[in-house]
Amino acid sequence: MIEYANWWITAISLASITLIFWIIFKRPLGVSGSWGRVVLWKSESLITKVDNPIYAHSQTMVNSLMAATIEAFGEKAVQKALDDHKGPIPGLSEISNSLAVERRLPWTGHLLFLLMLPVGGFITSYAMGNFHIQFNLGELHRSLFGTGFSYALTLIVGGILVGFGTQLAGGCTTGHGISGISRLIPASLIATCSFFGSAVVVSLLLKFL
Amino acid sequence: MKSTYVTHFFMAIFGLLMGGIMVYTGFSNFNEVHNMFVFEDFRLLFGFAGAVAISATGFALLPRTYPKNKRKFDGTISGGTMFGVGWAITGACPTIALAQIGQGQLAAIFTVAGIFLGVWLYRRLSTGSINLGNEICGED
Repeated sequence: MIEYANWWITAISLASITLIFWIIFKRPLGVSGSWGRVVLWKSESLITKVDNPIYAHSQTMVNSLMAATIEAFGEKAVQKALDDHKGPIPGLSEISNSLAVERRLPWTGHLLFLLMLPVGGFITSYAMGNFHIQFNLGELHRSLFGTGFSYALTLIVGGILVGFGTQLAGGCTTGHGISGISRLIPASLIATCSFFGSAVVVSLLLKFL
Repeated sequence: MKSTYVTHFFMAIFGLLMGGIMVYTGFSNFNEVHNMFVFEDFRLLFGFAGAVAISATGFALLPRTYPKNKRKFDGTISGGTMFGVGWAITGACPTIALAQIGQGQLAAIFTVAGIFLGVWLYRRLSTGSINLGNEICGED
């Protein structure tokens, strides 16, 4: 019998990766988001192609927009608009900083993240003595869903539900469940209750039917 | 992130760690997840709840670096419910399916194919005539 991490080590490791990801990337960890970016890699690489020069020359763009505004409306009108503007006017450096913060991670980074999941899983299971080549998900799962074609079909249909559902809900266990609820986002709590609730109902049906 | 190389390096490290954690905690084992959902074993449930509590404390202490995102509610309940059904029968969330392959459970390749298809289908529908909204967790 394999000894898994106890509950508080589980809690600490999941929380650590969530918080460290936030500190490094300034955005929440969300694996279904990575899936969305990787599946649509074609449009993603197009966006990157268009975005990159804008981010690289954001200062130039801000300057030329200002020049074009002055040309169109006259220096006096622009000066008046700036004077009438209530509250602080963001400086050029502030604008380019905010651009840098909001910049999307490249889709290839997300791809690398997803590809490394099985590698991390392999290393850990090998170290734990838990690595076995299997054509099912264990004896219990096989006894619930049989073998052969219907077994594969069950997994594909289940996978479609996971893929479609997480995109529709806007997040999965990491994005809504941990990163979302812990930042007190109401939709994340609702999403987590929905997927946990339906998983409990289906699991109980599987157990007792 | 200054350089894209650094970004890629860190994304790879996080992938390794996340895959490792899934196996180490037993989240990638169908039996463990099933026992959590039928309330026979509270280890993973407490682990998950504990992770939320620790993260919430962390986020409360960390300085806020960008404005609170406004999430739409359309699809949250229906999408969440679909995901839950899928999780119960495959034992997989988008992270776990890949970690399962890593620990040798090759059947999870079918789950991964399903997830890929599901994500693709959703993106197709949401950009076409049926607008399902496209709010996504994490990455914006």
